[in-house]
Amino acid sequence: MTAEVILNHRAMDDRRALVLLASCAVLVLLCLLALRLGYRPVSWADLARALTAYDPTDPDQIVIRELRLPRLAGALLSGAGLGIAGALIQGMTRNPLADPGLLGINAGAAAGVIGATFLLGMGSPTQYVWTALGGGALGSALVFALGGGAQASPARLLLAGAAISAFFFAMIRGLVLMSRQSLETYRFWILGGFENVTAESLAALWPFFLAGALVALAAAALIDALALGEDTARGLGVNVGGAKLLAGLAIVLLASSTVALAGPIAFVGLIVPHMARAVVRNDMLWLAPCAGVFGAALMVLADLAGRSPLFGGTMQAGVLSALIGGPVLIWLVRRTGGRKL
Amino acid sequence: MQAFQFGPVSIPLHRRAVTMVLGLSFLVVLVALAALSLGSYPIDTAGLWQTLTGRADPIPAMIVLDHRLPRILTAIGAGAALGLAGAMVQTMLRNPLASPDIIGFTAGANAGALLAVLLTGGMILTGALTGGALAACAVIALAWRGGLDTQRLILVGIGASLSLGATADLLLSFTDENTAADMARWLTGTLHARGPADVALIWGGLALLAPATAWLGFPLGRMAFSDDIGVGLGLPMTRLRLAVTGLAIILVALAVSVAGPLPFVAFVSGPIARRLTRSGGPALAAAALTGATVTLGADLAARAIPVVRLPAGVFTAMIGAPVLVWLLWIEARKGRL
Repeated sequence: MTAEVILNHRAMDDRRALVLLASCAVLVLLCLLALRLGYRPVSWADLARALTAYDPTDPDQIVIRELRLPRLAGALLSGAGLGIAGALIQGMTRNPLADPGLLGINAGAAAGVIGATFLLGMGSPTQYVWTALGGGALGSALVFALGGGAQASPARLLLAGAAISAFFFAMIRGLVLMSRQSLETYRFWILGGFENVTAESLAALWPFFLAGALVALAAAALIDALALGEDTARGLGVNVGGAKLLAGLAIVLLASSTVALAGPIAFVGLIVPHMARAVVRNDMLWLAPCAGVFGAALMVLADLAGRSPLFGGTMQAGVLSALIGGPVLIWLVRRTGGRKL
Repeated sequence: MQAFQFGPVSIPLHRRAVTMVLGLSFLVVLVALAALSLGSYPIDTAGLWQTLTGRADPIPAMIVLDHRLPRILTAIGAGAALGLAGAMVQTMLRNPLASPDIIGFTAGANAGALLAVLLTGGMILTGALTGGALAACAVIALAWRGGLDTQRLILVGIGASLSLGATADLLLSFTDENTAADMARWLTGTLHARGPADVALIWGGLALLAPATAWLGFPLGRMAFSDDIGVGLGLPMTRLRLAVTGLAIILVALAVSVAGPLPFVAFVSGPIARRLTRSGGPALAAAALTGATVTLGADLAARAIPVVRLPAGVFTAMIGAPVLVWLLWIEARKGRL
C-alpha cells in the first residue's frame, strides 16, 4: 500500500467522523425545532424553562413536556431503530433493496400487536411487545424460507416479503372487521405515527431498543466479513450461522419494537442506509451508527413535516415515508438496472 | 397426449388436463348448488329444483333467484377472472409468487375506488378501472427500459403497490366511521348483496375477453421458457408482455369492481391448476375454474358464520396461507430455493 492510499484512507476516516458529528448537530437542531413548532408554537425561553425548570401550571410547558417530548422520543427511537435494522438487513442479505417493511417483519409484528390487542385483550405495550417480537420473527423466518435464504436474488426475496406481508395484512383486516371499535383504532394505527406515543409506552419499550442496538453493534463487526462471501468469511474464522443469527435478532428486536411503539413504518430502513453508505462506504461499524442518526433525523423531519400546515397538520410520518419511499425504491431499481443488483 | 385436428389446425390435448378441467367444472357446479341451498334459510334439493324451474313459492324463489344466484354467479365470474389474470402473469414472469395482487395491479384499483367513493360517494367501478389502468401504465412506463424486463416489472410493481397501499390507508383515515367500515369490508373483498348488474358486468367482460385470452394462451406457454428460447422461436417478447399485462389488468379491474380485491385468489389459482393438470403450461382454463371454486368456497364459508358477517376476502386469505407453505415446500424439494 502506497503512502498516498493510506493518506486517502485517513482522509476518509476523518471525513466520516466529521459527517457523523455534523449530522448529530443537525439532529439536535431538528429536535429543538420539533419541540418548539406545532399547532401552538412556543418561545425559545419557554422551551428552555420546560426542559430545565419545569412548571406544571404553564400550558406551554405542559404541551412540551406531555405531548411533544414523548412524540419526539418516539420518532427518535423509531427512526434510529429502523435505520440500524435497515443497514444490517441490507448488509446481511447483500441486497440493496432490503428493508424490514419490505421483507415482512413489520407485517408479522403488526399481526402480533393486532392479535394481542383484539383477540387477547392486551392493552399495554409491555404485554404486546412480546407478541410483536414473535410475529416479527415468524414473518422474517417465513420470508427467508420462501425467498430462498440469504443467497436469493433481490427480486425473489422482495416478492416473498410482499406475499407474506399481503397475507398478514389480510388476516389483520379480517380481525379488525370483527368489531366497529377495533376498526376505529386500527385505521389510524396502521398509518404509523407518533401521535399516540405516551411516556408509559416509551418506558416499556426503550430497553428493547437498547438491547437491539447493542446486539446490532456486536453483529456489525461480523457482517463486514460476510460481505466478502460466506466461504471467505468462514476462512477468516467467522461463525457465519452465528453472525446471521445475531444480526437477525437485532433486526427483529429493532423493527418489532418500532411497530409496537408507532405502528408499521416502511421504507425508512430502505432509504437511510443508502444515504449513509454515500458517506461512510461499506464499513458496518460506521454504517450502523450513521444509519441510526440519519434515520432518527429523517423520522423527526417527517413527523415535523406531517404536523405542518402544508399537510393539514395531521399527516402521519409513516404515510409520508411510504409515499416518498415507493418512488425511491423504483428509482433504485431503475438506477441499478434491476438485474445487476 | 392427443391432438385434435380441424383441417389445418391441430390442438394438442393432454388427457389429464382435460379430465381435470371437466372435474373442476363439476366441482364448481356442485359448490354452486350447495351455495344455493345452504344459508340462514335452507332449501332442500326438491325445493331448489322447483325454484329453478319456476314452480315454487315467492319467498324461496326470491331468496334463491334474487339474493343467492347473483351472488354465486358474481363469485364464479370474479374468481375466474382473478384466476386467469394470476395464471397469465405468473407464467409471463416465470415466478409463482408474482401474481397481480402482489405486484401492484390490484393496489391501483383499490386506491382509485376509494378516491372515487370519497369524492363522489359512489362510482366504485369507474374508480377501480381508472385507478387500475393508471397504476398499470405507471408501472409499465417506470419499468420500461428499451423493453419490458420481467425482474424490473416485479420490483417496480412492489414499490408502486406499497405507495398505493399507503394512499389507500390514508384515504381510509379521512372518511367518517360508517364509510370507513363499509370501505374496509370492500377492501377485504366481499360478495355481500350483489345484483344482476354485477353479474352482467363480470360475465359480459369475461365473454368479451375470452377470445383474446385464448389467443394469448398459445404464445404464453412458450414465454414460460427462458428469454432466449422465446426470442429464438420468433416471439415478439416485449409486445406479448404488454398484451398479457394489459389483459390481466382489465380482468383484475373487472373482478375488483364487482367483488373487491379478494386477496390471494389470483395468487393460488395458477400453482394449484398447474399442479392438477401437470401440463407444464399456463393451464388457463383450469386456473379460471380453480379461482371460481376458491372464491365460491370462501363466500360459502363467509355466509356460514352469520353473526359477525366476515367478508369473503378473509377466507380467501386463509386459503392462501397453506398454498404459500406448499409452494415453499415443493420449491425446497426441487432444490430451487
